Amino acid sequence: MSRKDRSLWAIFGAPLWVFVLSLTGLIGALLEDGAWDAVFSAFLASTVIVTVWALIRRRR
Amino acid sequence: MRTRTIRAWSWTHKWSSLVSTLFLLMLCVTGLPLVFTHEIEEVLLEQAWTPAAPDGPLLSLDEVLAAALARHPGEVPAFMSFDVDRPVVNVTSVNPNGPAGRYSFEPIDQTSGAVAPPVAGHPVMEFLLQLHTDMFLGLPGMLFLGLMGLMLITAVVSGVVLYAPFMRRLPFGTVRATKSARTRWLDYHNLLGVITAAWVLVVGATGVINTLATPILAYWKNTALKELTAAHEAPASVGERASLDVAVERAKQALPGKTLQFIAFPGTDYSTDHHYAVFFHGDTPLTTHLTTPALIDARTGELTAVAPTPWYVKALSLSQPLHFGDYGGLGLKILWALLDLATIVILGSGLYLWLGKGRRKAS
Repeated sequence: MSRKDRSLWAIFGAPLWVFVLSLTGLIGALLEDGAWDAVFSAFLASTVIVTVWALIRRRR
Repeated sequence: MRTRTIRAWSWTHKWSSLVSTLFLLMLCVTGLPLVFTHEIEEVLLEQAWTPAAPDGPLLSLDEVLAAALARHPGEVPAFMSFDVDRPVVNVTSVNPNGPAGRYSFEPIDQTSGAVAPPVAGHPVMEFLLQLHTDMFLGLPGMLFLGLMGLMLITAVVSGVVLYAPFMRRLPFGTVRATKSARTRWLDYHNLLGVITAAWVLVVGATGVINTLATPILAYWKNTALKELTAAHEAPASVGERASLDVAVERAKQALPGKTLQFIAFPGTDYSTDHHYAVFFHGDTPLTTHLTTPALIDARTGELTAVAPTPWYVKALSLSQPLHFGDYGGLGLKILWALLDLATIVILGSGLYLWLGKGRRKAS
């Protein structure tokens, strides 16, 4: 762990990506049907994927 | 961030959460099965059924209405809706002198006028829905839960702000599993909280809008629809009403190419005292959620106006799918359930962290 404070971008970069992907998924699925539903659901699934990744890779 | 600023956000996060946590837990627990209402009711209410005359002619809407009302003497019609995959018309009626909000619901086989088995409205799911919507307290209960929703939004925003000071020395996603339980749960709380922020904000904000359904519809009736009723004084009584079939035909001519969704009878939340409000929806993924009513004078059966809904009614209409998660297939519903579970963990861990803090201070 570094003693130096991380920048705001370093802190919020990953959460911001998930936020934007989730929001795109939530709204996109409302605007499109059929196969697009799966695509936009996958966008929202970024929340689950990132959580599982963190629990496996960032557990210490 | 300066210490004083952090303290202020911390205070905001603590109190907005504490005030609402128990109610939000109730909403998450009841909301979980409600996400799968359609699937659960399909299992609970499963019953082989075929219409009395599958290829026979369909009864007129007036005949269906009469068949439904014959089973509920003294009641007046409130709503009529149509099943998509079977020739069944659902008639909702209400006793005008009875307690508000107590409706009778009768699915009628349009080929015979007999009652068809229900495919929705299982008592257990209705109970959960009512608890989730207003805790059996009517409008005050709804508005109270709306206030809890605002608390939730405040808690998420302040939580995201506080995420920065907590994470300034930790890489994203760190869970210090070998440290004390308190540290571990703080990491889970921060990770899940920041990851689910978009979903929680959308479901929270649309939930708040849904709690405002009654005032939103009342405002619409008292403003945009008001001028359409200026010609009449007394409500259109049941005895002086024109044929429903004529009214619906007239409405279809006014809105060609759209799909009939439901009819609101005079005197209900979705209509004036003088009109059949015949609601249609569009055919694109977005416009299936947006309805437009044709208002038919209930006395004459003539078209009064097509009344495109104002933005705040549209916002209410779109808030329903965005809150229920029922607009993107089973995959989306499963995500809704997982994110709901994550929210339960966030609420629980938040409560645990606060309780632990109190104990530490005391000792």
